[in-house]
Amino acid sequence: MTVKKRLLGWLADAALVLYFVFALFPIAWMVILSLKPTNELFSTYFSFSPTLDGYRTVLGDSEGIPFVRFFVNSLVVSVGAVVLSLLVGLPAAYASARWRFKGSENLMFTLLSFRFAPELTVIIPLFVLYQKLGLFDTYVGMVWVLQLVTLPLIVWIMRSYFADLTPELEQAALLDGYTRKQAFVRVALPLVKPGVAAVSLLAFIFAWNNFVFPLILTSNEAQTVTVGALSFLGGDRPKYNLTAAAALVSVVPPLLLALTIQRYLVRGLSFGAVKS
Amino acid sequence: MIRLSGIRKTYGKVTALDGLELDVREGEFFCLLGPSGAGKTTTLKTIAGLEIPDAGTVELDGEDMRGVEPYDRGVAMCFESYALYPHKSAYDNLASPLRSPRHRLPADRARERIGEVAELLGISALLDRPVGRLSNGQRQRVALGRVLVRPARAFLLDEPLSHLDAKLRQQMRAELKAIGAVRRTTTLYVTHDSVEALALGDRIGVIRDGRIVQTGTREEIWYRPHDTEVARAFGRPRINLLPGAIAPDGSFRSADGKVELPMRADAAPGTEVLVGVRPRDIELNGRGHELTGTVYVTEVLGRSVEVTVRLGEQHVSLVAPRGGATGLRPDDPVRLSVRPENLLLFEADRPERPGRRIDHD
Repeated sequence: MTVKKRLLGWLADAALVLYFVFALFPIAWMVILSLKPTNELFSTYFSFSPTLDGYRTVLGDSEGIPFVRFFVNSLVVSVGAVVLSLLVGLPAAYASARWRFKGSENLMFTLLSFRFAPELTVIIPLFVLYQKLGLFDTYVGMVWVLQLVTLPLIVWIMRSYFADLTPELEQAALLDGYTRKQAFVRVALPLVKPGVAAVSLLAFIFAWNNFVFPLILTSNEAQTVTVGALSFLGGDRPKYNLTAAAALVSVVPPLLLALTIQRYLVRGLSFGAVKS
Repeated sequence: MIRLSGIRKTYGKVTALDGLELDVREGEFFCLLGPSGAGKTTTLKTIAGLEIPDAGTVELDGEDMRGVEPYDRGVAMCFESYALYPHKSAYDNLASPLRSPRHRLPADRARERIGEVAELLGISALLDRPVGRLSNGQRQRVALGRVLVRPARAFLLDEPLSHLDAKLRQQMRAELKAIGAVRRTTTLYVTHDSVEALALGDRIGVIRDGRIVQTGTREEIWYRPHDTEVARAFGRPRINLLPGAIAPDGSFRSADGKVELPMRADAAPGTEVLVGVRPRDIELNGRGHELTGTVYVTEVLGRSVEVTVRLGEQHVSLVAPRGGATGLRPDDPVRLSVRPENLLLFEADRPERPGRRIDHD
């Protein structure tokens, strides 16, 4: 029995290791690629003289590609999109969790449909609109269009968090002498903080990773890393090492965010709110 | 003063309140008693403005509360679920009303007030703890404290003692009415425990299926219950109800013919009735109407004994002082007596409603 158990455990470990190799191999490959000098880029053997030149080039804005600006653009646009979605989405999620009003379910479904409709189906009319409205290649335009990505996510996930809260907590606040708005801000919001942290992270990652919108709706000023990193492939010769370095640099912000927010991702702060 | 008239409230197909009428006088301690699902909590929430009735009016101190937001009604409520803010300490929970725009007190005055209330409820040592680390009983007292800490037009208490252990509940029950704030403030107290209602209520309202069945002092509820269900709700052991019918001379005759009680009932001969008598109103070898039966079982309850007696085909229980009932063995013949004034007469229960009380002399 114990032998069998140990064997099973061992097999499970082996399977996990195998999976890690499978999952991490592309990243390892990119790391290697990013450290290669340009002349050894296409060598098929493993020995090469590692250099940080690739990163230097990418971050030093040489080659005429303003990668740092793309990076800042990505930050501004993603953070902006998440903040705007939180400002609009938290009250919306709260309202839809607490009150049924005429058409509320249709509204919620419409919002959700933004998530499962392919972006490509709306991109052409959006492109025309953006050109006409002067939103093309601007921060405002990008933050706005990214609402299609972040807002449904935030509203739908936060709605379930609010629905899990007993309304009696806010009712108690009303009777304590607070207005409905104060009850929302002082009682309901602090209790869904872990949810807000988790969903903000998720929305940030989705916004950061978005490719189609910046590809079509920006050209230079507001272009983001996802599109910008590809610039290194253009020109006379594709510079895979620079693309790899750029891609790796662009992974850093979501990764850091995920690590710092990790402890909030555990749900269960509302423990003790109601009798068990 | 709280006045509810003609309150109706439905949730989809479920009718929670069905034309509820309630009148709580200024400064009164009013107990609302009823089983779960009777509409007790909905009644409180309607008064507080947390639920909007489909029909009917809510008045506080003579003012119509239609369209008045909960925070402007000036009532304090203790929720059955406590509804404490889980992210705050006990102190901050108690301080919440005193920090609100409506009841704001300067921080030092608030601290003083919270100290008094905490002292009163015996939670002074717990104030720094997050409410998640309090026991249910402690949470309940914090919830009660949050109500008492500030002035209110009325206190609405939803089963505030139900989750305490027996000893603490008894102690709190005794103390609750002595609390100055409670003595001065109109209080509507909801409970499903008839002992609590009898002990605390200046007046008691019995609620059933979203309607008030009877309102009265504890004497009125006890001696003139509206129907068999109200009679059954109060008193342990429960009231004895013997089925029978009214004889042509107006007296009661049990269904099996074994029990006859002379009386003049205000009902037509042949009416099916239940005669009710409380276990403590039956004596062994006392004065009044006599009944004979045999002992079925006895159970010692401390200083008294509950004796169940077989009377024809029915069992009646009585509570006798221990001295008089020792030595009774099953199947011993016994003579019981009931004073005529302690007899209650009801219509027979029907499926659609419990039997109403019938006057007699």
